[in-house]
Amino acid sequence: MLELKSVTKRFGSTQAVQDVSLQIPAGSMVGIIGRSGAGKSTLLRLINRLCDTNEGAITWHGKPVTELRGKALSQWRATCGMVFQQFNLSPRLDVLTNVLIGSLARQRGVGPMLKLFPAEERARAILELHALGMSHTALQRCCTLSGGQQQRVAIARTLMQLPEIILADEPIASLDPANAQTVMETLSTINRERNITVLVNLHALDIARRFCPRIIGMADGQIVFDGTPDDLNASVVDAIYGRHVIEGSGARDEAQELLEAVA
Amino acid sequence: MTTSATLAAPPQVTAHQMQVARAIAPHLVDTPLAVQIRRLALWIGLSVIFVALSIGVDMTPATFAKGLSKLADFMANMFPPNAAGGEVRILQALAATFAMAVAGTFLGVLGALPLGLVGAKTFVANPALHFLIRRSFDVFRAIPALVWALILIVAFGLGPFGGVIALALTDIPRLAKLYAEAIENCDPRAQEGIRATGGQRRAAIRFGLLPEVLPVMASQSLYMLESNFRNAAILGIVGAGGIGFELEERIRIFAFDQVAWIVIAYVLCVMVLDLVSEKIRSRLVHG
Repeated sequence: MLELKSVTKRFGSTQAVQDVSLQIPAGSMVGIIGRSGAGKSTLLRLINRLCDTNEGAITWHGKPVTELRGKALSQWRATCGMVFQQFNLSPRLDVLTNVLIGSLARQRGVGPMLKLFPAEERARAILELHALGMSHTALQRCCTLSGGQQQRVAIARTLMQLPEIILADEPIASLDPANAQTVMETLSTINRERNITVLVNLHALDIARRFCPRIIGMADGQIVFDGTPDDLNASVVDAIYGRHVIEGSGARDEAQELLEAVA
Repeated sequence: MTTSATLAAPPQVTAHQMQVARAIAPHLVDTPLAVQIRRLALWIGLSVIFVALSIGVDMTPATFAKGLSKLADFMANMFPPNAAGGEVRILQALAATFAMAVAGTFLGVLGALPLGLVGAKTFVANPALHFLIRRSFDVFRAIPALVWALILIVAFGLGPFGGVIALALTDIPRLAKLYAEAIENCDPRAQEGIRATGGQRRAAIRFGLLPEVLPVMASQSLYMLESNFRNAAILGIVGAGGIGFELEERIRIFAFDQVAWIVIAYVLCVMVLDLVSEKIRSRLVHG
């Protein structure tokens, strides 16, 4: 169980996350939706400890995440893998090395710094790449890959961490629909087959509905919705986004009306 | 102990998994022997070259030990530092050296601006022409300020004027190269955006390129000023006047306590200049 208790994060005078409390059972797949600046990214970064809470506590199976330091902290970060919108790979390094970076938290000595990884880890990296259909690119520089390919490499790196949680921050926002679908299916498979808890920030409502049995809506740093896709009706959506949002192709007439009103 | 769960050893890779991975990409799982030998040979080769070069320039532990004891004598003569009544003269000389650096850098920047533009691949697209321009920068960059100074002091006579020209001539090809690279590395999207609005090429340069590269260029020019303040001191030794001349005079009469005073004053000035220019540069780039 991942538990957040009254978590607050401020950046200067802006309240990025305000008094958020959440309980996420291990093994669930949760979509987080909301406008840009609603606090979704900050929430994930707080869980990974890329930034620190001002108030409140985060625990994972009772372990106080917000109090970890040093080695225990880097161990925790390995436990909850991040997947980023812009992939955050090392562009000039080859795919295999990028994936092997995911194993650094459990390596010792200077070997890894000289790109010397044990054969077992290399085998693991290749298996993960192979499972994502990327093993043929192992020796290519990451910057030569397409966005969808890079995101799959990033997921392979995350899996190398042997994570218990995956935090995906807009993983499909810069991908075409086909690649987006592949990446979401991959996350969903990982969640089901490896029982890894997945928290994913999404802009696309239809994707959130399709892949996430539980959806959390954020606005102004607070949780304004927490429920199933079925609970997420039009008025709730409007409340999350702070204006009327037209969803799906069935609403074309409504869209036309709105456009005429603007004209 | 709740942390023990995550600190436990990772699940082992099974023999079967190793087999599968080797089947997918054998050369990636195990480093081939040939590669291992090549790596080892490279390291040995580099070490041999380093040792050979060290012996070649007489950089041996014995030479180092011998020099160290002499250096200690020399340092002992420097203390306590003493200006021997020449404070005002030394400070004036420092100011003259700084003025030489400023003038030289200014002329260098003026000369390098057009050359930097012309030297950028994004500007002169013809590969042959680009090659010719950039290699000509290289040729002139190979001439050190000291050589320029020695030539120019013969031509213009002793004094700071030759020094200023020498600094400018050294800076022009160096700055031109840096400017050209800054322009080449500039993200073309802003310029594309301006071209797409119907803007002319000059508008794309004015509004898309310059705002991006000017802070970088200014920062590089400031760095050149710092470097010139150092160079100007050396040029003084060969006849361009300023602090270098003062230093040279005192080294010649073995007045090492006065040398120490000048060096300390000079180092303080360099530190202040570096500090100020660092502040300005970070403001230019990030502000």
